[in-house]
Formats: sequence, structure tokens, C-alpha cells
Amino acid sequence: MIKSLKRMAGLGIAAMMMAGVIAAPQTATAASAYEGKKVIFIPIAMGITLTEGWARRMEEQAKLHGFDFEVRDAAFNMKAMSEIFAKAINDKPDIIVAHNPTVQLLARQIRQAESKGIKVLQINLQSNQKSTAFVGANWSRIGNDVAEDIVAACGKGSGKSGKVAIVPGQLTAADSVLMNKATMAVFDKHPEITVVSNQASNWEPEKARQITATVLQQNPDLCAVFGHWGIHTIGAGNAVKDAGKADSVLVYATGGGNRLICKNIEDGVIDRYWSYNADGQGRDAGAMLRLMLQGATPAEGEMLEVESPLIVIKKESYSPQQCWDLPAK
Amino acid sequence: MDAGLNESSNSFQSNGDLSQQNWGKGWFASVVQSWSKRLSIKQHPLEYIVLGITLTITLVFAFLIEGFATLGNLAIVAQNSTALVILSCGMAVVIITRGLDLSQISVMVAVSSVFGLLLSNGSDYSIAMLAAVFLAVILGLLNGWLIAFIEIPALLSTLATAMLIAGACRWGFLQGEFLVLIPKSLPIIEYISTGQMFGVPVSVVIGALVLIATSLLLNKTVLGRIVYAMGDNYIAARLTGLSVRMATVWVYVFSALTACIAGIIVSSASGTVDFRIVTNGTLLFEVIMVVVLGGIRLRGGRGGVVNLIIGVLLISVLRNGMTLMNLSGQVQDLVKGLVLISAIVIDNYINPRDTETDTQGDL
Repeated sequence: MIKSLKRMAGLGIAAMMMAGVIAAPQTATAASAYEGKKVIFIPIAMGITLTEGWARRMEEQAKLHGFDFEVRDAAFNMKAMSEIFAKAINDKPDIIVAHNPTVQLLARQIRQAESKGIKVLQINLQSNQKSTAFVGANWSRIGNDVAEDIVAACGKGSGKSGKVAIVPGQLTAADSVLMNKATMAVFDKHPEITVVSNQASNWEPEKARQITATVLQQNPDLCAVFGHWGIHTIGAGNAVKDAGKADSVLVYATGGGNRLICKNIEDGVIDRYWSYNADGQGRDAGAMLRLMLQGATPAEGEMLEVESPLIVIKKESYSPQQCWDLPAK
Repeated sequence: MDAGLNESSNSFQSNGDLSQQNWGKGWFASVVQSWSKRLSIKQHPLEYIVLGITLTITLVFAFLIEGFATLGNLAIVAQNSTALVILSCGMAVVIITRGLDLSQISVMVAVSSVFGLLLSNGSDYSIAMLAAVFLAVILGLLNGWLIAFIEIPALLSTLATAMLIAGACRWGFLQGEFLVLIPKSLPIIEYISTGQMFGVPVSVVIGALVLIATSLLLNKTVLGRIVYAMGDNYIAARLTGLSVRMATVWVYVFSALTACIAGIIVSSASGTVDFRIVTNGTLLFEVIMVVVLGGIRLRGGRGGVVNLIIGVLLISVLRNGMTLMNLSGQVQDLVKGLVLISAIVIDNYINPRDTETDTQGDL
């Protein structure tokens, strides 16, 4: 009886497959969705592990599924980025992947692209303008979590001054806007925490170093430095280390979690790091591209969203496995 | 032509060199006369204006900002300004010849990239430094050759080489990346970034040595005299037989060497060589601003190390005070721009249009 049931089930599955009900028809639909499709990725700059990691994973998906993937590098030139975006709209790709340097810069062009039927996937840094999809870190969550950690380390009962210096990348960048808001919301509930400085470093390690050295001089009892991006926070961390305060000042940072940053955690330049794992984000972005090409659309006024899981790396519990690296060229 | 030569010789006087007249009056009298000219408010109104503004700002900051008027903060101001001082030395010498070096920051990043990469790959620091100096000399020679022998205007040739060097550095040395990590644990890097000499940070001592070297170059060498002559009247200097082409080459080599020293100091301190200083940063504008605000005319022929110190003082005090006041970068840029415009407007008011040269102001 059982044998005959199994045989019947097997025959049924075979029949369904032949009729194109189970796996085969879905793959066929997806394959036709990718044919002749084009995706243009416009990063703030290539040459940093974050964007290189994303591009690598998205390109893998493109090669695997047969759609065209092109990178147009703005090389940290904001004016060039606007022009590159305008040119991309003219080229009428199916999707533009936008890495917004500020919440405002590409807002109008994102709206323009969407109105022309070009779907826009915003990666990691959002614009004020909503588009079809977003893949990236939840900056409010990171800001909140880092602030809670700072309160625990520097607040009541810690015996510390409660003084904190914040070093954003650029005050109008999405990460800084959202993290600042979330951080301050937590600090507002803890009057013992004082933000003694909140000055943007323009993403430059040397500028972050100069700001931190100056602030440390004025506030020798500083408890924590919160750099919004790991790369420029290397400068801030070195200022702390050079001032001989590595044991008393905690250096916080966030970022894509690549090996370069982990080297700085190993060296005691950065103490606590919230990683959104850029390699994983690249994989998520690649999957989102496929869904968008298959026709996935968000609810009216909403965005399709994938929030990147976070890995908290602390100096005291650090392990090299918590970081990732690009394969050697 | 005669007017040109006269103008040139006036410049020598104004810069404190001993003219024919001064030889007869004895050493003491000539020194007094030379310094009285140097310190004359009539001859150097801009310097006094900038110095006055700096003193006023310093007093206001000292009154308003806790922790500003302290020795520790003075050390931070000096340390944070070292790269600016060193770069300004190179730029000042170039500007005195009536030139401009827009490639200085590109050279700085290219040279420090080589330095950082060699150190990261385990090379000895002396080899890394020699390689950095060698590259700086080559890049300086390239600039000098383009300007002196191919006769491309300095503005255009250094703009072109800035782009060329930046591109070659990014794709050649950095292989498309933007950042080189400097191994801070190396004793030489630690010494440059945190070491002290007679209680003064090593980087500040290096900055002071570069200032002294610049002063000696301008005032005590033949090249220095040619530099002033070229800036005052290039054609006259050339027609009188001065080796203006070779002087131009050496001036740009000097500028590249200052970029090399500044690059090593900056990268040692921050632990990184950041390519975005070229594309993103405002360092080049700060360098030019220091030189111009200090009273070194873009028309060339005038100025010296004292002018540089005046310019650096203003920018450094402003930057430090505004950082301590927790002002945003945008507000800081706004204030610096306002200070520059104010200085130019006041200068234009003090030095009305000269009908002979059809110029207004001293800048």
C-alpha cells in the first residue's frame, strides 16, 4: 500500500514537473525576466572594499543569470556623480543602483528615473526620495545600539565623565543624519552624557585625527569617540592612541567589516565596531536585483527593503572570522 | 626694459638684501634700515591687518573658549599646522617666482603612497624614505621642465600634472584603491607621530627646520635672489643673464620635496594615506590661502618666511578655535572664506588702483 502510494506520488510529481507546475516553469520565467536586461551601478567611489564587495556580488549574479551589469564610478566627485546619473537615465537601463552620498544630491534624479520606468535600488545610503527598493544597514538601529553601549560604558555608575565626541563623515549623508538623530534620542534620556563635539570629518582620516586631537586636549577626561565610518575613524583612533589614552577612551565605529578595519581593531585603534558586512549586503543587493527584474514592486508609497544583519565586533572578544576580505586580484 | 630692471632692484631692497647704497653706511645701519623696511606698516599693510585680525581672534577665543589659551592646546595647534606650514613653504617659493603649483597635494599623496606601500611590504624605512624623496624629485623635475623648457604656463601645467599624478598614483600604486594603511607600530612612524625633541613634538621640529631652510634658500642663496628677480620681472631677470629656467626647475623640485615631507608627517600621524585628500579635500586652497593672507603677492617678487608664519597663524588659530567651539565644517569654510574676502577688500582699500601697473591691492 505504502509502496503504491509512493509510486503514485512520484508519478504525480513527475507529471506536475512535465506540465511545468513545480520548479522548471519558475526558472524559465526568471530566465526570460533577465534576458537583455541592464543594470547600472553608480557608487560614490570604487576602490574601497565596501563598493568593491557590493559590485563583486552583484556582478556574480549578473553573470550567473545573464543580465548586463555595469559600474560607473563617480570617484568621490559629487558633480560627476550627478552627471553620471543623468547619463544613466538617458541610457534607459532597467535598474540603476544608487549609492547616495547625501540625502539630497540624487533625490530629483531618482524621482526622474522612476517616472521614466527605470527602477532604482538604493544601496546602504538612502536619499530623501523613495524608490523601488533599498538594501542596506538600518542606521537608526546602529545609532541607537551604539548610543546604548556608550551610555553603559560612560553613563551613570561607570565612574567616567560621560563626555562623548561624535565624528560623522558628512552631516548631510544618510548614515550621519539617521545615526545622529538616533544617538541623540538616546543621549537625551541620559543627562549624564555630554556630546562635547559633533564635527564632520569629510570622511578623511587626517581631518578626523585633527578634530579628535583638539577635542581630547580640551577634554582630557573624554570617555568615548563615535566615528560614523571605520575608515575615517582610523584617524580618530590614532589621535586617541598617540595621546596615550587608548585605555581610557573608547573608540566606536561602523562599517562594512572588512579585514582592513579588523587590523585596526587588532591594533587597538578601534575598540567597538558595528559591522553591516558589505559582502552580505552585496549578496542581498544581487538577490534584490533579480527580484526587481522579475517584476517585484513595493506597495504604494513604500520601498522593497532588505535590512542588513549586524555583527558587533569588540576588541575584547574579537575574532578574525568576524571580518571578510576581497579575494586577491 | 629699464623700468623693469629698476623695479627688480627695488624688490631686492624691499626684501632686505643689501643694496649698493647700504654698503657705505656700515653693517649696523644697514641692518637697522633693512629691518625698519621689513617692519614698516606702510610697506606691509596686509601683514599688519592679518596679524591684527589674528591677535583679535586669539583674544576673543581665549576669552570665550575654555581650554583655548593653554600650552597643551598650543602644542595641538602647532602639530595640526605642521603639514600646512611645510606645504606653504614650497608654495610660497613657487608663488614668489610668479608661479603656482596646483600639483602639490597630488605629489604629496603619490609620494606618501609609495612610502606607505614600501613600509607595508616590509621594506626598511630608509629605503621607503629614499624612494619617496626620489619620486618627489622626479615629479618636481617634470613640473619644472614643463614650465621652464616647454613653456607651458604654471597654472595649466601643474593642473595637468596634478591630474596625471593623481590618476597614475591611484591606478599604478594603489591599484584602484583609495587608502594605504601605515604600520603605526614601526619605530620610525611612532617617532614622527608621537616623538619629542627637547620637549617639542618631532613633527613641529621638522616644520621649523623646513621654515629655516626656506628662509635660508630665499635670503642666503643665489637661487633665492633669482627667485625674487623672476617674480619681480621675469623678462628682465632673463635678459640680465640669470639662469631663470634652471631656477624654475629647482623651485618646483623644492615644492615637491616639501610635499614629500608633509606627506610623510600626515600619513604617520593619521596612520593612513588617503587619496581623497586630492579629490575631496580643501588642503590646496588652505595652502594658497596661507601664502596669500600672509602677504605674498600672487604677482610674485615679494614675501618670505615671516609672511608664511603670519598666514599660518591666522588659519591655524581659526581652525582650532572653531573646532573647539564645535562649529561644523561648512561654517568653518564660510568663516575662512569671509576672512579671506575681508583681507582682500581691506587690502584693496589701503592700496588703491595703481595707474602704472593697472593693479589694485597688494595680493
